[in-house]
Amino acid sequence: MNKGYLCLVLHSHLPFVRHPEHEDFLEEDWLYEAITETYIPLLWVYEKLVEDGIDFRITMSMTPTLISMLTDSLLQDRYAKHINQLIELSHKEIERTSWQPQFQRLAIMYLNHFCRARDTFEKYHRNLVIAFKNLQDLGKLEIITCGATHGYFPLMDSCKESVRAQLKVAVAHYESNFGRKPRGIWLPECGFTPGHDELFKEAGIKYFFTDSHGVLHGTPRPKYGVFAPVYCKNTGVACFGRDLESSKQVWSSVEGYPGDYNYREFYRDIGFDLEFDYIKPYIHPDGVRINTGIKYYRISDPSGEKQPYVPEWARDKAADHAGNFLFNRQRQVEYLFDLMQKKPIIISPYDAELYGHWWFEGPQWLDLLIRKTACDQDIVKMITPSEYLEENRRNQVIVPSMSSWGWKGYSEMWLQGSNDWVYRHLHGSADRMTELAKTYPETTNGLVRRALNQALRELLLAQSSDWAFILGTGTHISYAVARTKDHLLRFNRLYEEIKANSIDEEWLADIEYKDNLFPEIDYRVHQ
Amino acid sequence: MLRKIKAKIKKLSVPREKSVKAKTVAVRKKIKTLRKEFVEVLSKEAILGAQEMAIEQTKFSHPQTLKLRKQMSQDLPGGYGKDKITVQVRDPWWLHCYWEVVASTWSNLINRLKEMFFSAKRVLRVYDVSHLNFDGKNAHRYFDVEVSQEATSWYLDTGGPGRSWVVDYGLKLANGEFITIVRSNVVTTPIDGPSWITDEEWMVPEEMFGRLYGMGFGLGRSSPVGKAWQERFKKALFSGILASPGITSAASPVKKKPKERGFWLVVDCELIVYGATEPDAEVSVQGKKIKLRSDGTFTMRYALPDGKQVIPVKAISADKIEERIITPIVTRETKISNMVKEDLAAQFYKNE
Repeated sequence: MNKGYLCLVLHSHLPFVRHPEHEDFLEEDWLYEAITETYIPLLWVYEKLVEDGIDFRITMSMTPTLISMLTDSLLQDRYAKHINQLIELSHKEIERTSWQPQFQRLAIMYLNHFCRARDTFEKYHRNLVIAFKNLQDLGKLEIITCGATHGYFPLMDSCKESVRAQLKVAVAHYESNFGRKPRGIWLPECGFTPGHDELFKEAGIKYFFTDSHGVLHGTPRPKYGVFAPVYCKNTGVACFGRDLESSKQVWSSVEGYPGDYNYREFYRDIGFDLEFDYIKPYIHPDGVRINTGIKYYRISDPSGEKQPYVPEWARDKAADHAGNFLFNRQRQVEYLFDLMQKKPIIISPYDAELYGHWWFEGPQWLDLLIRKTACDQDIVKMITPSEYLEENRRNQVIVPSMSSWGWKGYSEMWLQGSNDWVYRHLHGSADRMTELAKTYPETTNGLVRRALNQALRELLLAQSSDWAFILGTGTHISYAVARTKDHLLRFNRLYEEIKANSIDEEWLADIEYKDNLFPEIDYRVHQ
Repeated sequence: MLRKIKAKIKKLSVPREKSVKAKTVAVRKKIKTLRKEFVEVLSKEAILGAQEMAIEQTKFSHPQTLKLRKQMSQDLPGGYGKDKITVQVRDPWWLHCYWEVVASTWSNLINRLKEMFFSAKRVLRVYDVSHLNFDGKNAHRYFDVEVSQEATSWYLDTGGPGRSWVVDYGLKLANGEFITIVRSNVVTTPIDGPSWITDEEWMVPEEMFGRLYGMGFGLGRSSPVGKAWQERFKKALFSGILASPGITSAASPVKKKPKERGFWLVVDCELIVYGATEPDAEVSVQGKKIKLRSDGTFTMRYALPDGKQVIPVKAISADKIEERIITPIVTRETKISNMVKEDLAAQFYKNE
């Protein structure tokens, strides 16, 4: 008999970046890198586990913007081109490193990785969402939704119509991709404000997550801390709180696993290290050096030079770390079981892109953790939130506290001197969107309807928390500024044209072609 | 980072409501013993926060593209044509508000107030409206913050977690009278620690909650219990108030080297071996068959490590009758010399 549960949550998200108007667009690489380094390696882990008959449960959010990009044929074609380029580069690398066996074996490793990634990509006819859906249908994954464009809800509190639209568009989009309604949601940036649970309920969502203090600072006091879900007062939507101890083991640079000297170094890439003329075809056409994904070094002891990566050592470490993580969860669960007199649930959420992309060995660690959990012990069992709620129907009722998992735990990451200017425009535009939805409760005019729907798309895209996040970090902000302004300008022009009844159809068609996500959007959800 | 933590500790040690009691020796002692733990907790938490940010940032890891920039000549709307003030919650202590007042409202005010308008101050009046239906007069208390004439947004330190707030933007006349121009929405700041309200049905002993509370924050089972500790802990963890409004440096998740001068040099060598033969010949380099271009030329590129490389290039004619071998022999030897001008370096570190 197990004494408690582990609920791993992987939040996978990228903002919508798609520029058909440019042949080559640097920021699209965010998606290509994540496909090669995170999404496909995670699929390999899951699929091998299924093949080996190992039972597991992972909760995974896939944001509507990410799904939109993964299912977009233009981006699929561009990814195919991208992976072929990498394969070509790794062939050259194998030759170039002929006299450096310590690097050549890594070049071969990358070639294999890229070829396998291409095979997987083609196996699903370039649509990876299908692969994840299959795993959900098998009962191994629970895929949850997110805000339509990952808009940060606490800073939309003054225009709840936008929160509602973010939710409803997301739910409809989920349904069209997965053939059923989402049970849970990963709130963008884990941002919660009391009262929004009413909107979750309205959208048919049964549960969400907050950071630890979202539950621990709830009122009244949660009897079981973050180790059991609570129901929100008045709505009954369930809320699960993050366990910081298990998070820290992976995140922290002091105690965290990914900082181990044997793991691969993320910040040394041949895109920056190799001679310019040689690497030129594989970096940006303007000559800007970028990461290629081929990285030869391990993190190494900082007192000396960076040393070549040794996959076997890294794998051993990943096994150690998986064992250590499981050991700690066992002790945690045993202790909590005694204290609570019931089976605790430990919620460990991570950015999915941490795995593979930044922490190269992350998928391996996950694989080993799952195998050890399934085969070596029976104290901790993996579970999804839905299953836990099924098993534990009676839970305390509280009002969770406003919170986020961002810097300092509240809204400051997205609300500071460098990015606070966006809210005047986001809220001003949201008010205008509500006005439009009320002015045109029904419209039979196809052109007006198209303009109204596109207006909502543009507003939602402007609301992505990613832009405010990048502005907040203060580095490479120009793209984030451009995207925020672009969508707001498009929105406001549409607003003026709709009101003046003079819609420029040619221009509308152009932005429909560029910002083509959510084909079935209905502007009336913004009320 | 360390300086910041120290500053936090310094502030922490003075309770928000400055009471004489806090200055008693007993409390001082207690605080002293707690300090060590704070430093540990704080640095962990600060690193954890920075870490998450740094990882999220790696998703957006490229230098920016130079495109797109030209298109953005247009400006965003200067305003949305309505008198409006919006308040939003930044954290348990701070609010952010922004406002817009249209030209006609200003001219009405000028017409109405005449001379008095020009001597009036622009003021934000912040009302504590917790647990009540605010009618403009029944606030528990309020405070005023004078803002500059051009300001259209402001951050407000309420100092009051777990309270509800409304903000008026208005004019304060020379005679002290306050005239509201716009009134905000109501917002509620979250509490900055565990609730004091418990649920009879879900009663939890103080000690058990203390343990669960510490564990939820990843402090392990041995986390200290007790109100005083919790008070300080929660402030330490979430004190947006204690830090600058800007962001801390986007710390690299990789373990940082101690502060050092940034000068560096990297040199590496590659060797290009190239040649030509009959296009249909079979060519191998170091025993490995290579592909010829259609004109019979070939180029091989190798990273060249230190030591001697013997590179036999062999070509065999298509009819297998002739064979030619040319063998370049290349040796690389790398010498390294580093020099620091001690007198100048001493000056540099002194200035740091």
